[in-house]
Amino acid sequence: MQALLVFLAIAALSLLASSRILLDPSRLPGVAQLAASGLTFLVFGILLGPGLVGVLSPVDLQGLLPVVSLGLGTAGVILGLNLEPRLLRRLPRPVFFAALAHSGVAFLFVAVPLSGAMLVTTRLPFAAVVGGAALLGAAASLSSGHFAVMGYRSGRMERSRGLAVALLTMLDDGVGLMVLALALVLGAGASVAEGVGLVALALLLGVMCGALIAFLTYALKDVAELTAVMLGGVALVGGAAAYLRVSALLAGVACGATLALVGGRAVEQVARALGRFERPTYLMMVFLAGCFVQARDVDAWVLLPGYVALRFLGKVWGGSLAQRFAANTLDLPSQLGFALIAQGGLALCLVVQYLLLVPGPLSQHIFDVVALGAVVNEVLASRAFRQVLDPHRRAREGTA
Amino acid sequence: MKGAIIRLGLLVMLLAGISRVQEWRVDTGNSVMLAAGALLLCGLFAGKVAKGVGLPRLTGYLLVGVVVGPYALGFIPGEGVKGLELVKGLAVSLIALVAGTELHLGLIRRVGTKVALLCTAVCGVTFAVCFGALFALRPLLPFLASMTVPQALATSALVSTVVVSFSPTVTIAIVQETSARGPFTEFLMALVIIGDLFVMVAFALAAGVTRASFGGGFDLKGLLGGVGWELFGSVGVGALLAVAMLIYMRRVNRELPLFLVALCFAAAEGGARLHLSPLLVSLSAGALIANLDERESQRIHHAIQMAGLPVFALFFAAAGAGLKLSTLVTVGPAALLLVALRALAIHQSCRRFAPVEDPRLRRYLWMGLISQAGVTFGLAALISRTFPSFGPQVEVLIVAMITTHELVGPVLTRRALERSGEARGDERPQTA
Repeated sequence: MQALLVFLAIAALSLLASSRILLDPSRLPGVAQLAASGLTFLVFGILLGPGLVGVLSPVDLQGLLPVVSLGLGTAGVILGLNLEPRLLRRLPRPVFFAALAHSGVAFLFVAVPLSGAMLVTTRLPFAAVVGGAALLGAAASLSSGHFAVMGYRSGRMERSRGLAVALLTMLDDGVGLMVLALALVLGAGASVAEGVGLVALALLLGVMCGALIAFLTYALKDVAELTAVMLGGVALVGGAAAYLRVSALLAGVACGATLALVGGRAVEQVARALGRFERPTYLMMVFLAGCFVQARDVDAWVLLPGYVALRFLGKVWGGSLAQRFAANTLDLPSQLGFALIAQGGLALCLVVQYLLLVPGPLSQHIFDVVALGAVVNEVLASRAFRQVLDPHRRAREGTA
Repeated sequence: MKGAIIRLGLLVMLLAGISRVQEWRVDTGNSVMLAAGALLLCGLFAGKVAKGVGLPRLTGYLLVGVVVGPYALGFIPGEGVKGLELVKGLAVSLIALVAGTELHLGLIRRVGTKVALLCTAVCGVTFAVCFGALFALRPLLPFLASMTVPQALATSALVSTVVVSFSPTVTIAIVQETSARGPFTEFLMALVIIGDLFVMVAFALAAGVTRASFGGGFDLKGLLGGVGWELFGSVGVGALLAVAMLIYMRRVNRELPLFLVALCFAAAEGGARLHLSPLLVSLSAGALIANLDERESQRIHHAIQMAGLPVFALFFAAAGAGLKLSTLVTVGPAALLLVALRALAIHQSCRRFAPVEDPRLRRYLWMGLISQAGVTFGLAALISRTFPSFGPQVEVLIVAMITTHELVGPVLTRRALERSGEARGDERPQTA
C-alpha cells in the first residue's frame, strides 16, 4: 500500500508542480520558486510523512528504502559524471581556491558555532556532536547554481558570469562529499578501521560498477539499450550499496567518475540517457526526503535560524574571498555570495545518506535542520540573487 | 554475440563478488534494488545472446533470471525478487495499456465474433481434456486422492480452469519484439486477451462450486456479483483512468512518463486491492483512449514503447528468478503429462475450429497459445490462499507447469508469428 500512496502522491504533486498558476512568479513568487526547484515535493513530503500528518507510516518509509537508494545512486553517478578529468585538469588553480573559499568559509561559519551550541543543548559525547556539526557545515558548504543557469538562459545575466557562478557551485560538491566520507568513517562502523573499510568498499563497488557500465555501453548504439543499461547500472550500484549497507551516494560518485574517466565517447550518451531520469528521480528523492523529516522536532526548529543565518553570512564572506582569488580568472558578479545562497539537492542527499547509515537522534536532528533549511534557503536565494543581476538589466526588470 | 556473452559473464562475476562480500557483511540491507539492477542488466544481455542463437529475447530474460536467481546460483536474494512484485504489477499494467491502444473498434467489429467463438471452443476442449486427465490421475495425485468424488470433481474443474489460461503478457511482448503486424497477429492477441476473460469468469464459478463441495455453501448471487464486479468494475475503472490521462495530457502535459508510470502503478495496486483485474483496467483504459483520441493514444504508445525494453527485460528476468525448478522434480511427471495434454488439446481445437478463410490460423495459431505467466501465477496463488487444505499442493503443480510453459511458450509464439509471415524481425531493438 505504501508504494501506491507514494506514487499517487507523486502523480498528484507532478500535476501540482506543473500547474501554470504555481509556476507563474508574478502570482506567488515564493511558491513558484519552490515549485521550479522541486522543493514543493519536499514540503509535501514533510506534510504527508510520519512526522506530521502521517499518511505514510514509518513502516511505509522502510518499504520505500529501495527507491531512496536508487535516488542516492543516481545523484552520485550524475555528480561523478560531472567530474570530467580533462576539464578539471584545464581549470586554473585560483578557481579551485575560490570554490574552496566559499564552501570552506560557510563550513566553518556553521560547524564551529553550532558544535558549541549543540554541546550545550545536547548531552551527547563530544566526538558525536563535533561529527554532527561537521555534517551540518558540509551541507551548508554546498551551493546550487540553478539560479545562475536560469539567469543567463533568460538573458538577465551575462552568460560568462552565469557560467562562472555555476562552475564554482559545481566544484564545492567535493567538500560535502569528503565530510560525508569522514562522518561515515567515524560513525558507520563499530570502529574507525571498520568505517574506513566500509567507505573503501563503497568506492571499490562504485569503481567496479563504473568500469563495467563503461564496458557494457562500449558497443551500444541504440538509445533505448543505452538508457536501459544506464538505468540498470544505476540501480545496480545503488542497490548493491544498499544491500551491503555502504554509502550509495559515494558508490555512485565513484561509479560516475570511473565512467567519465574510462567511458570514452559513450560518456556523453550515457549522461544524456541518465538525464532523462534525472528529474523524476530527483523529485521522488526530494519527496521521500521530506517524508523522513520529523517536523515536530523542537530542537531542530531552535537550531534552524542559527543555521540559516550563519550559512548566509558564511556564503557572503566566502563569496567575497572567492572573488578575490578568482577575480583575474573568472568573470564573477560583484556580490558573489548572494548568488551562492541556494542549496540544491546534494545537501539533502548527504544528510539522508547519513541518517540511513548512522541512524539515531543526532543524525535525525541534523537531517531535520538541513531539510527545513533547504526550503528557507531557497526562498532567501530567490531574493538574494537579484543583487547579482547585471545592474542595467535589473533596472529594466524593475521598471517592467 | 561473443561480446554479449563476455558482458553477461562479467555481470555474473560481479554479482558473485557482491554475494561473497555479503557473507562478510552479515547484517545486510534491502536487496530489492540490487535485484532490479542485476536482473535488468543480465536480462538485457541474455536477450542478446538468445537472439544470437535464434531464440526470442524473452527466453533469454527468463533463463538468466532462473540462473542468477535464488533457486539456482543464488546471487540474487529471494527477498529481492519478492520485492519486485510491485514492478511486475507495473509492467503488466504498462504492457496492457500499450496493448489496449491497439484495440480499435474496427478490429473488434472485424474479428470479435470469430475470436469469441474460437476462444469458447479452444477453452472448452482444453478444459474438458485437462479435467478428464486430472480426475483420471486422482489416485496418483495426493491432494485429490483423499477427497470424495464430488470434491475431486469440483477441485479438478477448478485446477483445469487455471491450466487453460493463456499469457497475454508473453504474447504482447513477443509481438513487440518481432514487430509483427497483420490479421494473424491481431487474431492471436485478441484470442489470448478474451481467453483470459473467459478464464476469470470460469475460475470464479469453479471456486464457488469447490467451496460448496467442501461445505462452504453455494452463494450464486455473491458469485455472479463478484464476477460482474471484476469484469465491469475493471472496465469502469479503466474508463476513469482513460479520462484522467486525457485530461492530464490536454491540460498539463508535463512529466508525462512519470505521470503514466504513477497512474499505471496505481491501477495495478489499487485494482488488485479492489478485486479488479489490473490487466483489464489498463487494457480498457488504453482501448478507450485509442478510440477517443488517436493522437494522444499514439503519444502514450510511443512514451511506453521507449520504456519497453527495460520493462520487459526486468519483468521476465524477475519472473524467471521466481521459478522454482525444484517443483519440476517433485511433481514433474504429472505436470509434464498435463502440459502435453494441454498442448495437444489446443493444437487439435485450433485445427478443427479456427476460421477456414485464413489457413495460417489452423496451422500456427496453437503455438501462440502455449505460454502461461502472470495470470496463471495469480490464480494458483489464489487457490493456495482460498483452500489451505489442498491449495499449496495445487500451486506446486501449476508452478511446475508454468515453468515448462515459460521455457517453451515464447519460442513457439515467435515461431507462430514468423511462420505466419507477419513478423518483421528485430528491426526495433528498443522494444523487447
